[in-house]
Amino acid sequence: MRPKTLLALLLSVTLLATACGTGSGSSKDESGPVQLLVFGAPEELAAYRTLTEAYEKARPGTDVQLVEASDRKDLLARLATSVAGGAPPDLFLMNYRFYGQFAAKNVVEPLDERIAGSDAIDPADYYPVAMDAFTWGGKQLCLPQNVSSLAVYYNRTLFTKYGVPEPKAGWTWNDMVGTAIAMTRDSRGVVVKGTESEGAAARPAVHGLGIEPSIIRVAPFVWSAGGEIVDNPDKPTRLTLDTPVAREALKNLVDLRQAYGVVPTDEEVEAEDDESRFANGRLAMLMSSRRSTTTFRSITDFEWDVAPLPVYQKQVGVLHSDAYCMTRGGKRKDAAWRFLEFAISEEGQRIIAATGRTVPSHIGVSQSPAFLGPSQPPRSAKVFLDTIPTVRALPTVSTWPEIEDVTAGILENALYRGDKLDDVIRDLDQQTRPLFARGEHG
Amino acid sequence: MLAPYLVGLVGLVLLPAAVTLALAFTEYDLVNAPSWVGLDNLVALVDDPVFRVSLTNSLVFALVAVPLRLLLALGLALLLHRRAFGVGTARAAAVLPTAVPEIAYGLLWLWLFNPLYGPINQLLRVGGENGLTALGRTPPQWLTDPTDARAAIILMSVFTMGETFVVLLAARRALPRDVYEMAALEDATGWDVFRRVTLPLMAPVLALLAVRDAIASLHFSFVPAYVVTDGGPPPYATTYLSLFIYRTGFEYLRYGYAAAATLVMILLTVAAVVVQWRLVRRYRGFYGL
Repeated sequence: MRPKTLLALLLSVTLLATACGTGSGSSKDESGPVQLLVFGAPEELAAYRTLTEAYEKARPGTDVQLVEASDRKDLLARLATSVAGGAPPDLFLMNYRFYGQFAAKNVVEPLDERIAGSDAIDPADYYPVAMDAFTWGGKQLCLPQNVSSLAVYYNRTLFTKYGVPEPKAGWTWNDMVGTAIAMTRDSRGVVVKGTESEGAAARPAVHGLGIEPSIIRVAPFVWSAGGEIVDNPDKPTRLTLDTPVAREALKNLVDLRQAYGVVPTDEEVEAEDDESRFANGRLAMLMSSRRSTTTFRSITDFEWDVAPLPVYQKQVGVLHSDAYCMTRGGKRKDAAWRFLEFAISEEGQRIIAATGRTVPSHIGVSQSPAFLGPSQPPRSAKVFLDTIPTVRALPTVSTWPEIEDVTAGILENALYRGDKLDDVIRDLDQQTRPLFARGEHG
Repeated sequence: MLAPYLVGLVGLVLLPAAVTLALAFTEYDLVNAPSWVGLDNLVALVDDPVFRVSLTNSLVFALVAVPLRLLLALGLALLLHRRAFGVGTARAAAVLPTAVPEIAYGLLWLWLFNPLYGPINQLLRVGGENGLTALGRTPPQWLTDPTDARAAIILMSVFTMGETFVVLLAARRALPRDVYEMAALEDATGWDVFRRVTLPLMAPVLALLAVRDAIASLHFSFVPAYVVTDGGPPPYATTYLSLFIYRTGFEYLRYGYAAAATLVMILLTVAAVVVQWRLVRRYRGFYGL
C-alpha cells in the first residue's frame, strides 16, 4: 500500500473513531458529575450555582454540573436531542406546563420508591397543589422546587409620587384598570391616554401596567369570573373561551391596550420588554410570577412591592411551579437523587429561597424568615403564600407547549392589533383542537 | 487523499440525511422507536396551514433575496475590481459581515432594528416630529409589522453576500483585457460592454452562484428568524421552512413529521436547481457559449 493511501486510511479511521467514540464513551461514564439542565436569567442561574456549590460543600466529593440552556425552548430542544442521542442529563428543571410531553414518552423516572425510602423528604411537607402538578399516571415523576403564582409587582415610589393608592388584597379588575389609567403618565407627569395615534405629541413615559398576552395570563381571570378555559381540566379537548364569562374576561384584557392604552404597544414591548421597562421605572405595575424577583432585587432607584391579582368574583391564581425531574436514561441516578434530595429538602430550599428565586414548595421553609424575612424586597412576600390556597393548575396535556405557542400569537394580535374578538375566539378554538386531539394526558 | 473527506461526508452528512428522509415515512418522537406511517406525514403537511405559510415564506424569501444578493455582489465586484484609493477598505467592508458569527450577527441586527432605540429608525426619524420621519410617516416597524419584518430578514441576508462578492471579484479580474480593448476600439458604451462582454463571460460563474444561493437560501433564513423575529410577528410572518422544521422536530418532538417537511424542502431545492440549470443552458445556447 502506498504511503499516501495508508495515511488517508489512517485519517479516515481516526475520524470515524472520534465521531463515533464521543457519545458511547461518555454514556458509559458513571463517575462523572451529575448534570443538571436548567435555563433562566443570569440572576436565576446564579441562584442555581449557589445551590450546587452549597451541595458540593456540604457533601465533599460530589460534583454537580449546571448545563445552562438559553431559554425554555432551547432547554426542550437540548433535552429531546440528548435523550435521542442516548446521553440525557441526569436531572432537568422544568415547569409543569411543559413536562407532559416528556412524561408521556417515558423519559422521566418515577420517584415514588425513592421518596418512600428517603429520610430527607416527606411528601406531607410540601404544598399538595405543586406535588399534584407533577403526578403523571398516578406516579410522582418530579419534585417541585417552588409554588409561585401570578402577582402584581408595583413601583411604590411612583405611586407615592403621584399620590395614587397602592394595590391591595381584594381589589377588583375595575380597580386595577382605574389604577393603571391613573399611573399612565407623560414625561411631565400628566395623565395621558395611551391610545393616541402614533405621532401624537403626548406619548406615555410611564405605562400603567405590563401584561403578557398569553393563555396563562388569561386563565386566572377567566377562573376568577367563574368560567373555565378548557372543557375538561383532566382530559381537555378544546378551549372554552367562547362562553360569555370567558369572553368578557378576554375582552377586558384586550381593552387594556385597545380601549385604555395602559399597556405599552407591541412596538414598545419589542423595544424594551416589560421586565426591563419596570426595572427602568417606566412601568407602574407588572403582572409576573416570582421569577421576576431575582431580577428586581437589583433595582436601586426605587422601592417596589407586590400585590395579589385583582378579582372578578373570587380570588383565583394560576400555578407556576418548576420541578427537578430525573431522566430514565440518566447514568448517575443515585448521585442525581442525592442532589435532588438536598435541593428539595429544607436545607436546599432555604438556600434557593434566600436568592429570591422561589416561593419554596416546602411549607415550613415558605413560612420561615428564609422566605418572609424583611431584609430584602418584596416587603409583602406573604402575598405569594396567601394565594397558594386559591391557585389552580393548567392542564398538563403533552401538547401544551404547542398550545401555548399557537394561542400566544393569536392573543398578541388581539391585544396589540385589535383583532375582532369573535375571530380571536374562533381561531383559538379551531387552531388548538387538533393539538388537544393529539395530546396525551397524565 | 479524498478518503477522509469522503468518509466524513458519508458518515456525517449523507447517512444522517438518508436516515432523516427515511424517518419522513414514520411517526418518530426522538424518544420511542419510529413506527411506519407511509405517506401520512406528507398528506398531513398538505393540510397544515403553518407548513403552507412557512413554504410560501421560504419561496418568497428565495425569490427576492437570491437575486438581490447576486445583484449587489455583482455591482460591488464591477465597482471594486480596479485598483484605486480606498478600494481595499471597501472590499474588506463588503466581506466583513460574512465573517461575523451568525448568532452575533443576528443580535447585532436585533439592536439595529429596535423600533424605538435602534439606530436605523433613529436615523429615519431625523427631521421628523413625535417619532415620525421627516415625511410625516411612521418608520418601518421591523419587528411588529409582517411585511416590514420579512423585509428586515431579507435586508439582513443581503449583507452576507461576502463570499459571492469575492468569487465574482475574482471572476471579473480574470476576464481577458483584450476583449475590453476591442470593445473600446469599437466605441462600445458602458452598457454595451456590460451586456455583450462582461455579463456573458461571467454568466457561468453567476449561474453557479445563483444555484448555490438558491440552495443556501432555505438555510440562511433560519438564524435571523430564530434570533431576531422568533418567526413572527404573529402568527407566522417570518416562519420559514427551516424554522418550522426545527420547532416541529426539536420543540414539539414530532421528528418524523419534521423529516417529511425536510423531504419537501430538499425536493424544492432540487426543483429550483433544475429550473435554473435549464435557464442557464438556454442562455448559453443563445450566446453560443
